[in-house]
Amino acid sequence: MSEAREAIPVQRPWMPVLQKIGVPVISAALAIAIGSIIVWISGYDAAAAFSALFKGAFGGPKQIGDTILRATPLIFTGLAVGYGFRAGLFNIGAEGQLFMGGLAAASLGVFLVGQPWFLVVPVLVVASALAGAAWAFVPALLKARIGAHEVITTMMFTYIGRYIVSWLVVGPLKDEGMIPQTVALAPEAQLPRIQSLFSADTLDALPFLALGRAHMGIVIAIVVAVVVWLILKYTTLGYENRAVGFNPYASETAGISVQWTTVKALCISGALAGLAGSVEVMGVHHRIFDQFSSGFGFTGIAVALLAKNHPLGVIPAALLFGALSAGAGTMQLEASVPQKIILIIQALVIFFVAAEEIVLWFVRRRQKEAMSHAG
Amino acid sequence: MNSKMSKLLAVLLALMLVVAFVPACGGAEEPEEPTDEPAVEEPAEPVLKAAMVTDVGGLGDKSFNDLAYEGLKKAEAELNVEIKVLESKEITDYESNIDQLATAGYSPIFAVGFLMTDAIIKMAPEYSDVQFGGVDQFYEEPPANAVGLLFKEHEGSYLAGVVAGLATLDTFDDKLNGDNVIGFVGGMDVPLIKKFEAGFIAGAKSVNPDVKVISLYAGNFTDQAKGKELGLSLIEQKADVIYAAAGAVGLGTIQACQEKGALFIGVDADQYLTVPGSGDVMLTSMMKRVDVAVFDTIKSAVDGTFEGGTLKTYGLAEGGVDLAPFHDFEDAVPQAIKDAVEKARADIIGGTIEVPES
Repeated sequence: MSEAREAIPVQRPWMPVLQKIGVPVISAALAIAIGSIIVWISGYDAAAAFSALFKGAFGGPKQIGDTILRATPLIFTGLAVGYGFRAGLFNIGAEGQLFMGGLAAASLGVFLVGQPWFLVVPVLVVASALAGAAWAFVPALLKARIGAHEVITTMMFTYIGRYIVSWLVVGPLKDEGMIPQTVALAPEAQLPRIQSLFSADTLDALPFLALGRAHMGIVIAIVVAVVVWLILKYTTLGYENRAVGFNPYASETAGISVQWTTVKALCISGALAGLAGSVEVMGVHHRIFDQFSSGFGFTGIAVALLAKNHPLGVIPAALLFGALSAGAGTMQLEASVPQKIILIIQALVIFFVAAEEIVLWFVRRRQKEAMSHAG
Repeated sequence: MNSKMSKLLAVLLALMLVVAFVPACGGAEEPEEPTDEPAVEEPAEPVLKAAMVTDVGGLGDKSFNDLAYEGLKKAEAELNVEIKVLESKEITDYESNIDQLATAGYSPIFAVGFLMTDAIIKMAPEYSDVQFGGVDQFYEEPPANAVGLLFKEHEGSYLAGVVAGLATLDTFDDKLNGDNVIGFVGGMDVPLIKKFEAGFIAGAKSVNPDVKVISLYAGNFTDQAKGKELGLSLIEQKADVIYAAAGAVGLGTIQACQEKGALFIGVDADQYLTVPGSGDVMLTSMMKRVDVAVFDTIKSAVDGTFEGGTLKTYGLAEGGVDLAPFHDFEDAVPQAIKDAVEKARADIIGGTIEVPES
């Protein structure tokens, strides 16, 4: 958070570009390189492991589809956390907002049976965004009015949200049968798989469209990422968001309501996280159950860090995490490397991104010292 | 500044190159070993390739994932079957893991845990020539090439309840406190775990009608710290025998029992054997023989008698559930308790006792 506030100085024209693109790329590459050493030290064939990882993530349209599938919720949670960071807020509770978004889609979807998809899908998507925003609203209010730290409150709200879902799926919303989950959504409430939009002939002619499990959520994700980018860059809303993130005191002096901006920022962040829940429910599971999210809200923090909180950077960052996740299975199948080694690589990515912040911090301090000596 | 940043970048890049190079060298040397090993191990061409997909608990849960793996290993040793395990790190992996194994020619493929029920229902029709086994999976309409492997956990838990209900009245160990209270730790509050709880309570009440059974749920099957917390809370409330049906959560409960002095009844595996150092509190375990079910299914695939589209239920009579030996408590446990267990076992198998499932 404090780093986000300090990340203002622009020293050279090429610096921001390099920082934004070069350093994350180097961080990711370093992480994968060191990850391969760990694989090697653990007694596995690192070359085979990484060629299997690559094959599992990009080896064919089905594999690319799996990467896209896994990246889709991460784009939303990455956007959510990133948007918060840009206002100097650390929305660590994206997971809870995601659960509420998923719950809204899964529960409301059951009532909208028999309506056409072009009505149901937008309604559910908007409802889950609102649910996510609502879940962030109380922490936002607490932050704005009495200064309660959002890291604590959003996290606590994550627990509340998760346990509400946990209770609903074994209780009031439980489907019949042994498994604690809600009733499946009707087909018109689902986000279709991309390959299902094309006829068998088209798929034969254009095999790269046979993207397996990837669903239309990715299209929504990319559109939303562009919209968030436009908002941040060109609107008053986005300007105020960034201004408060850079320097709340100066913003206040300049006439921006820090409180109101904080509330808006956290709610928008919550709405984006809520969308992650809706795509998982509508595109993947078609219902909600206790463990439907594999910590996408938390991985979103890493995605936002890697993307340097840039809405468009979130897309490749999420794709990287999606690819690592998708390739892990093949890596285990073909090179017998435990899938969980991927979590180490993900952690290393975060480590190097964070380390870069540390390095830059030192560089900046040196600069300041040099300047003060010169002055 | 400019030069400093360039230097920094240069160092980073150099480091990356070095780092990327090392494993490449390592990789070049490696292949000899792995290719050697299987060649020695495999006496003949395997008759089939069996595989399993773990749930997110993964191998090392000392519980049903490990047990299913035991079944696979037994098949590898006795039936000349090639085996493979794919662990799932998240829910999204279930379908892709099954998909990859099916594509790679594995059959039968076992999906371990009820969380994968939907995955099997979706994937089985896509790979109609592959055989699937779903551990703990109940299908309304079983896919034609899948068999649901279910267990009468309530029957085994009834025996555990008989032991606990009588032990809490007894004084054969100084950890037994004389208060007529026993405890149950559940993973998630779901019908499957309710079966353990219902059987346990029924068994305890059958021999000790006044016993107070306190049930607590962790909300998951992985959080050991939560398991410890729940164990401590039960002991605080005077429970002196605790039964945990909660996967890895129970490992934390064992710690609580060791620290605060209570006896523990393990679950799924004979946890006296699978959790080293737990002998001082491990009274017995309710074994759910996932290994038996998995092995039997592989055997049926080898013999050509695999029956898809069915549900197979393993109870006391089928050897699918049972009570583990008392091990360190073998001499301490009074004969009366052992007799009561034997009587209950005979009555359940004989049909005189109908154990409730919920």
